[in-house]
Amino acid sequence: MKTKKIAAIVLALAMVIGLAACGAKTTTSDVKSISVCLASEPDTIDPALNSAVDGATLLAHLFSGLAKWSQTADGKLEIVPDAAEALTEGVQNADGTVTYTYKLRDGLKWSDGKDVTAGDFVFAWQRAASTDLAADYGYMFEIVDGYSEIWETDDNDNYVNPDAKLNAKAVDNKTIEVTIENAVSYWDELLAFPVYFPVREDVVANEGWATDPSTYVCNGLYTMKSWDHSSLITLEKNANHPDADEVTMDTIKFYLSDDANNQLSNFKNGEWALIDDVPTNEIASLKKDYPDEFFNVGQIGTYYVCWNVNENILPADSGLTGVEAENAKAEIRKAVSLLLDRNYIIDEIAQGGQLPASSFVAMGLTDADGATEFYKNTGFSDKFVGYFDTSADALSANFDSAMATLKKYYKFDEASGKFTNFPAMTYLYNTNESHKAIGEYIQSALAGVGINMAMENQEWATFLNTRKSGDYSIARNGWLADYNDPISFLDMWISGSGNNDIQYGRGAHQNVKAYSLDLTGLGYDIKVENGTWAETYDVLISTIKSCTDKDVRYKMMHIAEDMLMSTGCITPIYYYTDLYMIDSSVKGFFSNPLGYKYFMYCTYEK
Amino acid sequence: MNTKTLLYIGKRVLLAIFTVWVVITVTFFVMHAVPGGPFVGEKATTPAVQAAMEAKYGLDKPIMEQYGTYLKDIVTKFDFGPSLKQRGRQVIDIIFDGMKTSLKLGLIAAALSAIFGIVLGAIAALRRNKLVDRIIMVITTAFVSMPSFIMGSLLLALFAIKLRALPANGSTPEGLILPIITLALYPMAYITRLTRSSMLDVLGQDYIRTARAKGVSGPRIIFGHAMKNSLIPVLTYFGPMLAYIVTGSLVVEQIFAVPGIGRLFVSSITNRDYPMIMGTTIILAALIVIMNLVTDILYKVVDPRITFE
Repeated sequence: MKTKKIAAIVLALAMVIGLAACGAKTTTSDVKSISVCLASEPDTIDPALNSAVDGATLLAHLFSGLAKWSQTADGKLEIVPDAAEALTEGVQNADGTVTYTYKLRDGLKWSDGKDVTAGDFVFAWQRAASTDLAADYGYMFEIVDGYSEIWETDDNDNYVNPDAKLNAKAVDNKTIEVTIENAVSYWDELLAFPVYFPVREDVVANEGWATDPSTYVCNGLYTMKSWDHSSLITLEKNANHPDADEVTMDTIKFYLSDDANNQLSNFKNGEWALIDDVPTNEIASLKKDYPDEFFNVGQIGTYYVCWNVNENILPADSGLTGVEAENAKAEIRKAVSLLLDRNYIIDEIAQGGQLPASSFVAMGLTDADGATEFYKNTGFSDKFVGYFDTSADALSANFDSAMATLKKYYKFDEASGKFTNFPAMTYLYNTNESHKAIGEYIQSALAGVGINMAMENQEWATFLNTRKSGDYSIARNGWLADYNDPISFLDMWISGSGNNDIQYGRGAHQNVKAYSLDLTGLGYDIKVENGTWAETYDVLISTIKSCTDKDVRYKMMHIAEDMLMSTGCITPIYYYTDLYMIDSSVKGFFSNPLGYKYFMYCTYEK
Repeated sequence: MNTKTLLYIGKRVLLAIFTVWVVITVTFFVMHAVPGGPFVGEKATTPAVQAAMEAKYGLDKPIMEQYGTYLKDIVTKFDFGPSLKQRGRQVIDIIFDGMKTSLKLGLIAAALSAIFGIVLGAIAALRRNKLVDRIIMVITTAFVSMPSFIMGSLLLALFAIKLRALPANGSTPEGLILPIITLALYPMAYITRLTRSSMLDVLGQDYIRTARAKGVSGPRIIFGHAMKNSLIPVLTYFGPMLAYIVTGSLVVEQIFAVPGIGRLFVSSITNRDYPMIMGTTIILAALIVIMNLVTDILYKVVDPRITFE
């Protein structure tokens, strides 16, 4: 009897210890498996269809495109050849187009053992750019010769050239030839973008191929071992890849959860070595408690407030019309922007270590020389970076100049220190604590001078719809670029763009002749005075897109941003940063400015 | 079973089908009336891409035609269509995946809550106003008044973060322990209280007094005589509770990252994934309707005094 009792106690103890050991942190360096959590179930991990950052991270592990992101020994990021032997220089053709020829490396295999051929790449590109697939990121092939023919439609929205194809071909099994419309600095980067990854025709013929490990055929450093939907995706090192020796992590487990609190619990408990989201209200304490594990890196994006260009913000009795009214509105919007304290928003509300923004094109994008940042060369003053001074010292000067401007247009009551006839506005945002808090700050800052702004929140999809259709006066907005070229921030504002939330060149603004464009100094025969948005900005963007001279092109992009900012419709708040937490014993991890995370070269060290 | 009973069941089944049809119809039209579509994202696709996608999924057709096709596919083929967001997957497969986890979670939690609830309730009733009763009542009051997100967070903080004894995510079998406990505590406490009060009620009845007078022992009175009759209110609660626990565990699924149907349901709505919204709504509605029906029929089994009219 007694021995039984003792045995039971020992067993119980063993179980408790065993349980406790389950959650213990790894301390040895020979652990070759890492558990991470980026987001919930990816919408798709078909390289052509994916448009999400978490999906792109998975794809970067599963596929080898012609190029890839890599980290040098001193921590710099660069684009290096992956499936291609080298990232060759292009050859300029007589018509200004540029042709690139790439040779595939030896030994590249699909995960089912077949050889990767040049034809697989060409097939994948044609598929991704096709009207049949209608992929979100199909426009990433816009630069490739032939793309515009594919998508050209007549007045009834029918495609004019159903047989059109990208100008890309497989010269032989190992050689790819592709022609792009003009030389762009970000071409190599595009080759590392998932939508440019190869897929095999017989594999993708099965529409559900990318939803099950048994049909998921890939060519990268990893293969998909299992996928428990909404729960866990496990990748396993592909020993047949030519670069397999460089891979240090044998297994990567991508847990699927989009709940920031849950991610944090799993990080604290030691189960997940990296989490890509943290609860906003915990940021301050996490920064303090986990100084070596809390990271905050630049991302090429801008959080801003956008104004509907067609919204009347002038007092009812202003008497201004047409161009004068437009110029007055621009001046007023810019003045209101100066009333905001961006440092307060970042330090007290967003708390993610963001940087105050004074331009629309975000930090992280480079200028013509490929080294200095584009945003540092914007604006008209040498004293500060961007279009206005965001430093704390400039706050009162900004406020004074804003008030002086506003007093020109609105009745000011000296006794209360408030404007009395600023039309009421509504601030539209999507349901989210952080967006709400920022909106409330703006509301209170403006109320301080008598500008009344109501708050309206909408659920995400409804919000997108309302904002796109221009059914708002002011709205929160944000933009994350897809590649390192300022055009990714600028071409969205042409009249016909689907992202033109401000409604430039639409509605009443269509006929406002308030804009000028002079490109004669840059060698173009383009000079417009008092033109509409379509006659100036749209023309400028299409000129930029067809420009082959890098310096001229970047100069024109600065002109485009100057035009945008002169309308005052964009009130930049901060440049985005990517927040994540990573176990300090994990070495060899890196992420790129697009937010993709790379785990293949990770090791555990203590 | 007599014809009256069969007739009643038949009527209830027809009514259930009608209810589900109403749910389908209302959801379908309300869903399409809400602004925003499945192919709207932060980054706009071109109108041509939008049109191509809508044509692909038949969303360009008149709404009545879409409704007709949808009903027909469900009735004739049990086909809920493809998901618009998780491209390449069928709604029914996604729901099936989620259901597997939610059912497992829900059934275990329901069974635990019923077993512990009834036993604790009976003990409390037998030891009425004694210390054990007091303790049980205090604890159950706490559990009944504590929302599951607080209970879940507390359990998580204690067992997953402080003690590191259990995982904080529901992707493994061990990971389901905490969510099951979280789910089970509220109904368990409720059932305990329900059992206690209804048992006290039954214990005051004449036939119990008779049994007592005849010298039947305490436990035999409880389990042999009182239990069956005192379970009727518990049963009333148990049926809908089971449906609720299986379908409505969204909060718990969120806290513990459990890949269940509650999360699917909410994300499908934010995504405007029309076929997913329809699929989850129909399945959940059908489940609740069926559970109610089963409960009503079970009444009869437990309490012969109840007649079907």
